[in-house]
Amino acid sequence: MSYLEDDLKMALRRTEPPEGFAGRVLARANGPAPAEPRWWENLTVLVRPPRLQWVALSLIVSFMIPAAGLYRKERQARAEGERAKEQLVFAVHVAGNKLHRVQQKVLEMGRMDTRL
Amino acid sequence: MCMLVGTAGYGQALDLKRLDKLADKASSKAEVTLDGSVLKLAAKFLSGDDPDEVKIKKLVTNLKGIYVKTFEFEKEGEYSESDISAIRKQLETGWSRIVGVQSKKDGENAEVYLKTGGPDGGIAIICAGAKELTIVNIVGKIDLDELSELGGMGVPKIDVEKVKPPKKDD
Repeated sequence: MSYLEDDLKMALRRTEPPEGFAGRVLARANGPAPAEPRWWENLTVLVRPPRLQWVALSLIVSFMIPAAGLYRKERQARAEGERAKEQLVFAVHVAGNKLHRVQQKVLEMGRMDTRL
Repeated sequence: MCMLVGTAGYGQALDLKRLDKLADKASSKAEVTLDGSVLKLAAKFLSGDDPDEVKIKKLVTNLKGIYVKTFEFEKEGEYSESDISAIRKQLETGWSRIVGVQSKKDGENAEVYLKTGGPDGGIAIICAGAKELTIVNIVGKIDLDELSELGGMGVPKIDVEKVKPPKKDD
């Protein structure tokens, strides 16, 4: 007898099932059927994105949040700069205006002195 | 009255806090405080195309600070001489009064001070009228002719904080 034949016999030999196997099979077969999914549970499939979409979504969000933060910061800085510029223009004009008025008055006084 | 006042200490701005109490009495007021980084930031935003802003940009290049306080009152006598003399006192050292004008015609007094001590220039202007008080303090070197030229164009309107006049029973 060849070794191959021995191996086949060994592999295909009858073996007894573990104890209580038949009982468990019968109990399962006679038990209640698994619950059917409800109609709305089937609908959740429609809104359940595949994993790839989640990855793409998280990538977009992780880019958008810092970008939005930078944009907001830049807008805030620009608003502050514009406000500061407005104040500077105002301050320079007030200072210049007062100085101009003083010069005018001095010139007026000079003219009056000349007439005298 | 109208007087021009300069900065007190070397490279320092005048202490104008004493005037803060006038804000409650004023019918309108404007306060501008631009120093260091804020002044530089403001200058960066000045347009290179607007001729007026180009002049201002050139004018403020060497400046370290601009401080303006201006008050308008409903009636006369809302500020006292001591309010002005407190500022004038700061100008006693390191400053020279170059102009002092008293106008009986419109009741306005004006003084202009130039900073003489220290490498940094400066100018202070006090303008005191019957119903108006304006203090300007510029720290740094500035061309007075150019400043005056800009002033001859008038003062642009900005959102000046309007203060309600105090109630009579206050």
